[in-house]
Amino acid sequence: MEIKRSIWPRLPDPKRTWSKVRWTWQPATYREAGDSVVKNFLLHWFPSKITRQSISWNYSFWLGTISAVLFLILVLTGIPLMFLYVPSVERAYLSVKDLEYTISFGWFLRGLHRTSAHLMVAVVFLHMVRVFLTGAYKNGTAVNQNRPLNWIIGIVLLLFTLLLSFTGYLLPWDQLAYWAITVGTNIASSAPVVGEKLRFFLLGGHTIDQNTLIRFYVLHCFFLPLGVLLLFSYHMWRVRKDGGLAAVDQLSLNQKKENVVPLKSKTYSLLGITSGRTVHVETSIVDADKHTVMSSPNLTRRIFMVTLGTAAVSVLLTILFRAPLEEAANPNVTPNPAKAPWYFLWLQELVTDTTFTIAGFTINGALIGGIIVPGVLVLAAIVWPYLDKSSVRSAGVWFATERRKQNIIFLIIVAAILILTVIGTFMRGPFWNWYWPWEGWPTMPRKL
Amino acid sequence: MGRLAHDAAETLGRRSVIFRKRSAAKDSAAGSPAPPGHQDAAKHSLWRNAFRNDSLLLYAFGAAILIITGLVFWSYYTPEWRDYQDEFQELVAKKFGPERAAQSPRGLQQIWVKDLDRVDRCTTCHQGMEWKGLEGAPHPFKSHPQEILKKHPLNQYGCTTCHGGQGYATDMESAHGFIEHWEEPLLGKQVSDLYLIKDRKAMMQMNCNVCHRYDRETTGADYINQAKLLIQTKNCRACHMINGRGGVIGPDLAYVGDKSPEQYDYSRLLGVKTAFAWHVSHLQNPKSLVPETVMPNFNFNSKDAQSLALLVMSWKRANIPASYRPGFKLAESQTPEEAEREKQMLTGEGAFFVKKGCFACHSVSAFDIKSAAAIGPDLSFAVSDVQSRFGKTLEDFLANPTGTMAVVLSTQIQLTNEEKQEAVAKMKSAYEKKINAQAQAADQALKNAAAKPSPSPKK
Repeated sequence: MEIKRSIWPRLPDPKRTWSKVRWTWQPATYREAGDSVVKNFLLHWFPSKITRQSISWNYSFWLGTISAVLFLILVLTGIPLMFLYVPSVERAYLSVKDLEYTISFGWFLRGLHRTSAHLMVAVVFLHMVRVFLTGAYKNGTAVNQNRPLNWIIGIVLLLFTLLLSFTGYLLPWDQLAYWAITVGTNIASSAPVVGEKLRFFLLGGHTIDQNTLIRFYVLHCFFLPLGVLLLFSYHMWRVRKDGGLAAVDQLSLNQKKENVVPLKSKTYSLLGITSGRTVHVETSIVDADKHTVMSSPNLTRRIFMVTLGTAAVSVLLTILFRAPLEEAANPNVTPNPAKAPWYFLWLQELVTDTTFTIAGFTINGALIGGIIVPGVLVLAAIVWPYLDKSSVRSAGVWFATERRKQNIIFLIIVAAILILTVIGTFMRGPFWNWYWPWEGWPTMPRKL
Repeated sequence: MGRLAHDAAETLGRRSVIFRKRSAAKDSAAGSPAPPGHQDAAKHSLWRNAFRNDSLLLYAFGAAILIITGLVFWSYYTPEWRDYQDEFQELVAKKFGPERAAQSPRGLQQIWVKDLDRVDRCTTCHQGMEWKGLEGAPHPFKSHPQEILKKHPLNQYGCTTCHGGQGYATDMESAHGFIEHWEEPLLGKQVSDLYLIKDRKAMMQMNCNVCHRYDRETTGADYINQAKLLIQTKNCRACHMINGRGGVIGPDLAYVGDKSPEQYDYSRLLGVKTAFAWHVSHLQNPKSLVPETVMPNFNFNSKDAQSLALLVMSWKRANIPASYRPGFKLAESQTPEEAEREKQMLTGEGAFFVKKGCFACHSVSAFDIKSAAAIGPDLSFAVSDVQSRFGKTLEDFLANPTGTMAVVLSTQIQLTNEEKQEAVAKMKSAYEKKINAQAQAADQALKNAAAKPSPSPKK
């Protein structure tokens, strides 16, 4: 007997591989629609069916997805920028000048990166506001839910986003960058006991110099994005484990009232034999056609739309507002006013507002405005899901009556942050004096 | 759709699985089977429902991205400088023929001067700078005055070193630098007009003096020269430290040009608020800007004040390699003792040997000339030495030297015939001096020996 053996290893069939990567754009059958999600690598993290409310425009406003898309844009624009930018004190500013003036589409890459970064800070913050106002950090009825943990992951992601933006702020090495980081790190140094050490650790010295630049660069290009990627993956995994968006829990609660005969479930997972109803069984309960649609093409299409829309808005803002590049960083010349990045301006404003002199003693606001207030806010946010004792009926519901008081307090805090940010951004001129937007600032003197 | 539809969907699904399995068995290229015909209805309804709501948004977003991408590409392919390069080629073609026109470079141009840390892309539009015969051409194609370029070649100085402006920029507005966040605008007509200076090249002299700071006078920099003269005649050093010399009543002006414009008090200054304007006004009437000042009013006219302001603003820390400083010599400095010694030797009888550099190797003890190295023999005894070592007279040896001296006298120390005669004469007189001294010493020794009846010294 002769066995014919090919000496060549069997290569994967390219067509088959391709069909695993892409999904059926126009699924012909429900089976095909389901398969396209379950069998596809890119879509495997989605459920095969999804409730109509989850993909509606006006429940989540898709803020989480927009944040993820912005992160994707930032990665895609950041990679070529890494090849073009030189993180050295001598060359950084000039390499950004080159990006602006000579490198093909350099200005656009940099502009898009900057725009998306600013948008991401804003959108991640709005995402948090949405989750709070809908009480979406609350567990529903299914077992093994841990939405409070996911809320905390979200807070950490918000802090990471701020840090990413803050570290990126220094990189152009112009006056704006240098003094914004000076203001920012000076606020950090007012922390009791560890403040000075913290600043030293952040800067790699007592002044912002090469050590700071390389530190911020490595954090900005590697560790922080990696952290965001890992946390984001976990964030999404938890969303799935928690049974999707919190609004779905209301759906299942409503259905139980209607006393619908449970549908036959095709899913028999290990989770199914643990005590209590599992997420899988739960989803099968809301598996009624009036509430759910196939994820492919409904969810995939919406995600595509959101991606396209986010990209469109980002590129539009990029060509409308050119990224600024001020004079090269000069430690001897402090611009007036020296402002922190806009998302920290509410803190800078708070610092100046809480700095006052009583009977010859000056109370430095940096501790109150720069450390205590933001510290308390973050801590309060982290523990809040455990303090919120409202019923399961307020999970995933906009402005639930039960949570009215906390929503009002939360909105007041958000409004205060926004108002302080607006004041700090638009109404503070030289010497941190008050200027109305229609008032001109005194012209800054020039050399010639 | 109810249970029925659900079941139907399952059935359909199963069928397609069977179909795929079969086709996989038949053909290895499975995975993209043609859908069975009876699935078309389901397909259409799913598809249509999916897009009904969002199609408008899809078109809007898609169109926005398409238009913006188009705009970005359009701006990439139509930069401002391309028009100038087209025009320049036309101009050259008209004047010198199409062949020369083809020689003018296309695309972004830059001059990188590493020593001065300059990257100047000005020649992207100002293409005629080094061309001859375009002196009468309009800006930006005009040739640069050649005599200045000879001393300051483009590849060693760039453009912005002298002219100011933003060398990195590739559009006119940013490059000429009259924009926010650029502190060194082009020092030309626009700035001169601002300060009502008729000479449009006056402001540029400020940059000349960054390198020419220690010149007494710089050709072409008449404003700066005038200011330097005023520094002497008005004796500014009575109060101010200027270039390392002067008094301490007024501030040290070593790096006053580096002072940031924000650091001046403009509250009493009328007109434009700039550091230059402050200086001009302050020089004309110090008390009007700083009431408590003790600086006297020198009644400078406006041109004098402007000249001095330009000079003062040019005094800044500049990271200029030594080779760019005019009159700079690469030489190791002598210690004061060495200098004093050389000065002595240069004035004495043996000055000839010092001037010609003989003393690098040879001492001439007769004339009190001491070589630091003393590699060669003492020239005081050359007359007898040469005769005994080379078997020829000193005159013959200098005419036809051998050995080391053949090399030295053909390269480093080349003597004319007159100089050779002078050398021989000097060496002869040195020898005589030495011999006489020895004879005197011998006489003295004899006398001493006679006076002191002691055992006579050996040798």
